[in-house]
Amino acid sequence: MALRFEVVGRFNRARAAQLTLPHFVCQTPLFMPVGTQGTIKGLTNNQLEEIGCQIILGNTYHLALRPGADLIDEFGGLHKFMNWKRALLTDSGGFQMVSLLHLADITEKGVTFQSPVDGKPMLLTPEESIQIQNKIGADIIMALDDVVKTTITGPRIEEAMYRTLRWMDRCIAAHQKPDTQNLFGIVQGGLDPVLRDICVRGLVERNLPGYAIGGLAGGEDKDSFWRVVAQCTAALPEDKPRYVMGVGYPLDIVVCSALGADMYDCVYPTRTARFGSALIPEGVLKLKNRAMANDERPIDPTCPCMVCKTYTRAYLHCLVTKDAMGSQLLSYHNLSYMMKLSRDLHTSIVEGRFPEFVRGFLRTQFPKGDVPEWVCNAMEVAGIDISSCCASFSPSH
Amino acid sequence: MPVGTQGTIKGLTNNQLEEIGCQIILGNTYHLALRPGADLIDEFGGLHKFMNWKRALLTDSGGFQMVSLLHLADITEKGVTFQSPVDGKPMLLTPEESIQIQNKIGADIIMALDDVVKTTITGPRIEEAMYRTLRWMDRCIAAHQKPDTQNLFGIVQGGLDPVLRDICVRGLVERNLPGYAIGGLAGGEDKDSFWRVVAQCTAALPEDKPRYVMGVGYPLDIVVCSALGADMYDCVYPTRTARFGSALIPEGVLKLKNRAMANDERPIDPTCPCMVCKTYTRAYLHCLVTKDAMGSQLLSYHNLSYMMKLSRDLHTSIVEGRFPEFVRGFLRTQFPKGDVPEWVCNAMEVAGIDISSCCASFSPSH
Repeated sequence: MALRFEVVGRFNRARAAQLTLPHFVCQTPLFMPVGTQGTIKGLTNNQLEEIGCQIILGNTYHLALRPGADLIDEFGGLHKFMNWKRALLTDSGGFQMVSLLHLADITEKGVTFQSPVDGKPMLLTPEESIQIQNKIGADIIMALDDVVKTTITGPRIEEAMYRTLRWMDRCIAAHQKPDTQNLFGIVQGGLDPVLRDICVRGLVERNLPGYAIGGLAGGEDKDSFWRVVAQCTAALPEDKPRYVMGVGYPLDIVVCSALGADMYDCVYPTRTARFGSALIPEGVLKLKNRAMANDERPIDPTCPCMVCKTYTRAYLHCLVTKDAMGSQLLSYHNLSYMMKLSRDLHTSIVEGRFPEFVRGFLRTQFPKGDVPEWVCNAMEVAGIDISSCCASFSPSH
Repeated sequence: MPVGTQGTIKGLTNNQLEEIGCQIILGNTYHLALRPGADLIDEFGGLHKFMNWKRALLTDSGGFQMVSLLHLADITEKGVTFQSPVDGKPMLLTPEESIQIQNKIGADIIMALDDVVKTTITGPRIEEAMYRTLRWMDRCIAAHQKPDTQNLFGIVQGGLDPVLRDICVRGLVERNLPGYAIGGLAGGEDKDSFWRVVAQCTAALPEDKPRYVMGVGYPLDIVVCSALGADMYDCVYPTRTARFGSALIPEGVLKLKNRAMANDERPIDPTCPCMVCKTYTRAYLHCLVTKDAMGSQLLSYHNLSYMMKLSRDLHTSIVEGRFPEFVRGFLRTQFPKGDVPEWVCNAMEVAGIDISSCCASFSPSH
C-alpha cells in the first residue's frame, strides 16, 4: 500500500480526509480533472496548480496510443514526461475500449478490439493493463474491470461482476509496484443490490488500498444512481478512499459526498466549457446566449479565479465557439469552480458546517425550492435536513 | 507586436502576455468590427476595457483584410467596397468610417486607411494607389475625433518604386503625423527589393518619430530592419507557425512534429527562460503538436516569448553600445556555416554593421 487515508472530519456519512499519495498530499472530497493524454485541454501545469488541482486522471488507452507506454517509461513515468508534480491516477483502458471501439469484444481473457492504428486484432488483458499502468507510473491505478452500462439488464451484469472479481486477482498478481502505485478495485454489479453486495465483499476481502464504484454515470435514472452509491459507501471500509467514477455534475458530487464518497472524475466541466457553458453556483451560464453580448459582469462575481477577475461575460461571449480562447478560458473557470467545490466540501465538513453548506448549495441551485426528489431522498439517507430548501415544505422550520 | 486579431492572442491569457513582456498588441479593425462590433466595444469604453488589456493597443485600418480576404472587394476613390460577409450586401469602408471605428475601439495607435497594393504587381496601379493613399490620409486626419488620446499613423506606399516611395514619404511627413508606417511590403516581394524599400524610407522619415514596418516578420527580417532604423513590427508568423508545430529558436526553427523529437528530453531551447522551456520537453510537445490544441497553445507561448526577448535584446544591445556584436551573434547562430544570404550582407553594409566574420566567403579572422 502506497497511501495513507486519514479522516479529519465527519458529518454522518460524509467525510473530510487527508489522502497522502506518493506525489502529493490531497484533501478529500476531491474532483479530478480528466487529462486524457497527459494534458488538461487548455491549461498549463502552472494554471492547474494555481486553481488548486491536486490529482489528474490520465486515460491509459489514449496514453498507450500516444505517446505510448514504453516512451513514457523511458522518460521515467508520466509525472516526469508531462512534468506534473502532483498526483496522477490512470484508469485501466477498458472503458475507452468498450465505449470507443465498436468492434470491441469481451472474453475471459480480456478485451479484444481492433487496433485503431492498423486495424489488427489486439487484446487488452488485466495483466497488460497493469503492465502499461506500471510504466505510466501513476499514484493510483485502476483494475481492469468488466464494465457494463447500467441501462442493460439480464445475465450479462452478473457475468461482468464475477469476471471483475476474477480479473481483480489477475491485476493484483500482475502489479509490479505496490509500494509506489495504489491499485484500486472497482465495484460492479449494475443496479442490482445483491450483485453489488457480492462484489463489494469480494473486493474488500482482497484488502486493496482503495475502492471505486464503477458502472454508473452511464444513463441510469438518478434514483437508482444514488441508491447504488449509498449501498456501496455503507459497505466499503471506512478507512479507505471511495472513488465514484465518471461523476460528474456538481450536484451529484455534493450528494455522493453526503453519502460518504471521496473522489470523483468527469469530463463534464471541460467538455461543457468547449460548448460555451460556464459552471456557476446557480447552475450553468450559457455564454453563447445573446443576453451575454453586453453583460459586463464576470461569469460569477463571487468566483476568485483568474478568468472571473479578468474577463467579462461580453468578452467571453465573443469568443465562445468562435475562438479556441473561449474554450480555454471557460475550461479554466470551470475547473476552478470544481476545485473550489472540492475545497468547500472538505472545509465545511472539517469545520462542522457541512449541512449548512449543503443547504446553501441547494438553495442557490434551486431558488424556487424545486429540489429534485432523488436529492431529497438521498439527503434523508445521508441524514442531512434540507427541508428548508424544498418548496413543498413550509419555509420556516 | 503580436497580432491579436479579435481581441485575443490565440492561446495566451492577458496574464501570460504580461509575463512574457508583451508591451503592445495589434487588433484587426475588420475582424473587431464584425465581432464583437465597434458599437459594443464603444459601449464598454473601448477595447482596452473590453478585453481588460492594461498595456498598449494598435489597430489597423481594416483595409488590408478587406482586400486580402474578400475576393469581391473593389477599391474606388470613395473607399473599399465589398460584400458584407454577414449578409452579402454591398458595403463601403471609407477612410472616415475606418477612423470612426478605430476611434470607438480606442487603441493607442490607429492606422490610416491606405490603398495597399501587393508589391508583386507592377504598372500604373501602384502610382494610383500611392496618390490615393495621400488623399485618404487627409480624409483620415479630418475624421479623427481623438487626436489627444489616439495616434494616427500614416502609411508609406509606392510599391518597389523609389520615386513613388519618395513622393509618398514627403507627402506624409508634410502632414506632421505622430508616427509612420512602411506598408505594402511582406507580400511576396524578393528580399533584395524589400530591404531597399525599408532602407530608403527609414532614411527619409523623421528621426524623432517611430517607424513601423507592417507585416514583418521573421526574426532575421526584424534584425535587419532594426539595423536600418525601424522601430516597430507586427506579424502573424510566430503564432501561426506555432499552430503548425514549429518553434522559434536562435538557430532558426525547430519542427516539433519531426520524428526525432519523440524522445528528445531537452526543452525547445535550453537557453530560453520562458515557462514552456522551463516546464516541458520536446518529447512531450511532440505528442501534442497538431493533435492537441495544447500544442498550439504552448508553442504560441514560447514563440511569442522568443519575439519579446528578441525585442528586448535589440533595445538593450543598442542602449548598451553592443548592437553590432548582437547582430553578429544572431547571424552566427542562424547561419553557423556562414551562409548569410546576400540580401542581408547588402543591407548590413548600408546599415554600417560589419558582419564579415559571419560570412563564409570572407576569411574567418578580421
